[in-house]
Amino acid sequence: MRGLRKYLTPFAPDQSGAVSVLYELDGIVVICDAGGCTGNICGFDEPRWHERRSAVFSAGLRDMDAILGRDDKLVGELADAAAKIDARFAAIVGTPVPSVIGTDYRALRRMAERRGTLPVITIDTTGMELYDVGAEKAYRALFDRFATEAHPVEQGRIGVLGANPLDLSTASADALRAALPGAVCYGMGSSFDDVLRASSAEKNVVVAPSGIAAAKLLEKRFSTPYEVFDPRVAAGTLLGDALDALPAGARVLVVAQQVTANSLRALLRERGAQVSCATWFLRKPELAEEGDLRLTEEDDFAELVRDGGFDAIIGDPVLFDIVPQYAGIRIDLPEFPLSGHLNTAGHEGAQ
Amino acid sequence: MERTARCFTAAELAQCGIDNLPDELVSNRHLIYSSPATLAFNSPGAEGFGVKRAGLAIPGSVMLIVAPGCCGRNTSIVSELPAYRNRFFYLTMGETDIVTGRHLKKIPQAVEEVVDCLAERPSLVMICITCVDALLGTDMERVCRRAEERVGLPVRPCYMYALTREGRRPPMVHVRQSLYSLLEPRRKRATSVNLLGFFAPLVDDCELYRYLRDLGVKQVRETSRCASFDEFQNMAEANFNLVLHPEARFAAADLQERLQIPSIELTRLYQLDRIRRQYQALGQVLGAQFDDEADYAAAEAALNAFRAAHPNATFAIGECLNADPFELALALTRYGFTVREVFGTVQAENFVFLRRLAELSPETRIYSNMEPTMLYYDAADCPVDVALGKDAGWYHPEAACLAWNSDVQPYGYAAVRRLFEALDQLLCPEGTASDAEEVRS
Repeated sequence: MRGLRKYLTPFAPDQSGAVSVLYELDGIVVICDAGGCTGNICGFDEPRWHERRSAVFSAGLRDMDAILGRDDKLVGELADAAAKIDARFAAIVGTPVPSVIGTDYRALRRMAERRGTLPVITIDTTGMELYDVGAEKAYRALFDRFATEAHPVEQGRIGVLGANPLDLSTASADALRAALPGAVCYGMGSSFDDVLRASSAEKNVVVAPSGIAAAKLLEKRFSTPYEVFDPRVAAGTLLGDALDALPAGARVLVVAQQVTANSLRALLRERGAQVSCATWFLRKPELAEEGDLRLTEEDDFAELVRDGGFDAIIGDPVLFDIVPQYAGIRIDLPEFPLSGHLNTAGHEGAQ
Repeated sequence: MERTARCFTAAELAQCGIDNLPDELVSNRHLIYSSPATLAFNSPGAEGFGVKRAGLAIPGSVMLIVAPGCCGRNTSIVSELPAYRNRFFYLTMGETDIVTGRHLKKIPQAVEEVVDCLAERPSLVMICITCVDALLGTDMERVCRRAEERVGLPVRPCYMYALTREGRRPPMVHVRQSLYSLLEPRRKRATSVNLLGFFAPLVDDCELYRYLRDLGVKQVRETSRCASFDEFQNMAEANFNLVLHPEARFAAADLQERLQIPSIELTRLYQLDRIRRQYQALGQVLGAQFDDEADYAAAEAALNAFRAAHPNATFAIGECLNADPFELALALTRYGFTVREVFGTVQAENFVFLRRLAELSPETRIYSNMEPTMLYYDAADCPVDVALGKDAGWYHPEAACLAWNSDVQPYGYAAVRRLFEALDQLLCPEGTASDAEEVRS
């Protein structure tokens, strides 16, 4: 049955992706919910939350706020918080409740800017899309609104888009910076000023599909070129020597976010493997090869494995619960948005 | 500009009165700050029992969460606990479902598929729905009846409506009503009593069990100690219910009306004299007198031992713990300790404790975890020896922390005794605990 999950728990939603992008940027982030979404976003999907304080708030909506559409109350509370907190901007992030009541985000932004002193962006997430849709919206809103001034280009400065704990399944940007000297990972280990100075990047590197739209925007606005690849793959920091377990000419299925999957495919092809790629998340046509799959149901994955004749599967360990009969090589590549497990060890190795 | 967390002294609040609290302490007058200290408020299920775990309190039950994906996201954590493996299933909703309501038609079939995929037939299927269906006005009772007809099993709704949290029947009240609505009429037994309120049992050495046995009660039942659905059904034979948590009040009222089981409500307290008075009152209602001397003495001995070893201990008390923070603050103050801070939600029910606290310790600072300026809370402003409660521990990383938030519930004299034993163990350097033991004896 479509939509029924028996093995997999729900994936990280769009609202988590949006907050993940904004978390470190010294803004006031208001999640427009009753509280539960904020609990999920911060308590589960935001690994930095326990280590580093950020001005993330729940709107604390109650039934009558939703029924009566009390946007003015939310705007007043935001203005009050902005008066008490040092912040560079404010962001209002949507959830299912404003989605159901048809909140007018543009009007909300205008009201909030008129009432307060901070520039405001709104992200119309619904809680029904997946994390990378929300992250994409947040990157785009952020750069569209704040990366407006043309600065001199700095040689060696590389902007990295799509680097957040959900897209990279790690809470640290260190591995990226090690693989890509001069990298400024927007939203992870960088500041709001870096966003303002986005035009000074010599080029942008997109490490996840969520960063593509912003990269295109920056290319159009400042002629900043961009490349799409996962630097961790070439640097060998993603899977370590786990790929050595693959026999020559192996048929390999890679299940990962599209940019990581593509980088792994290129590497595996160099080693003579036949590679198929699939993803549970965004599938950008411009990054896809013929036959690449977007998975939506557990049955899609079961069918793919049953009919694919793969010698090896690279993917999150929880996926193997769906196909207990699979007897080939397993290479674990945890995807935090999928299973909620961070890839803290770098790699789990072949099993 | 220097930024600090906003707080009020107990004296200031007592003077304001419950009807004139400052906006900073009223949660619907400001944005809710999200920190690990507010996780239990925003997402009760993330730690302890929220609707999802509570909804699976019946042995052998499973849950189908019918909601947008975001609502079930943190269930990954619970699903990995051995007791909850293969008990959560999801029917994810999209925008089309919301517009057309088609997800409701899919529920009976989804329930059937879930039941069919399980090695053992479940005792009950709970359907958990969330804010979206609250706004749509979904009649889930009707959908559940259809699902029941399809699978021949009880199917019950549970409402994870965060939007109604501060309403008359918030989700944690409703889930208790939903669970106890499963009880079918049985012949009454004068020797059976139910304890309602918690989803985990009381500590085994809680004196309440003994007092009830001394009265001639042979069966003291709690949902969490029922090994099977049939055993749970035996709760319908109770002579009376003891309500140990106010959120079970409505469920108890339902049982009174439907199964004619009357109830008596008790409060968890940490003031020894108040505990004694409460037991005396309970004894009067039941026409008996409890012999509590030994229990009182044991709790007092634990208190004395701790006080002897740490006479100047200072405390910060949070609200993520098995106590009312203001009652506990009052108890500790009355025992002679210094409570510097309370992180809590001031409500009508606990204002009586706050007022008394203000008389004894007017300078105690009161914070709301949820207030926006808590972003700037700095423990250096008010250092303490002990942080009681998980949230207080988060604010005070420098202090010894006793989370005191186990699923198994401390209650009565046993709670006081165990609290001071735990504090003693926490603060006594290794090797000196035996000295404290001597003081106690």
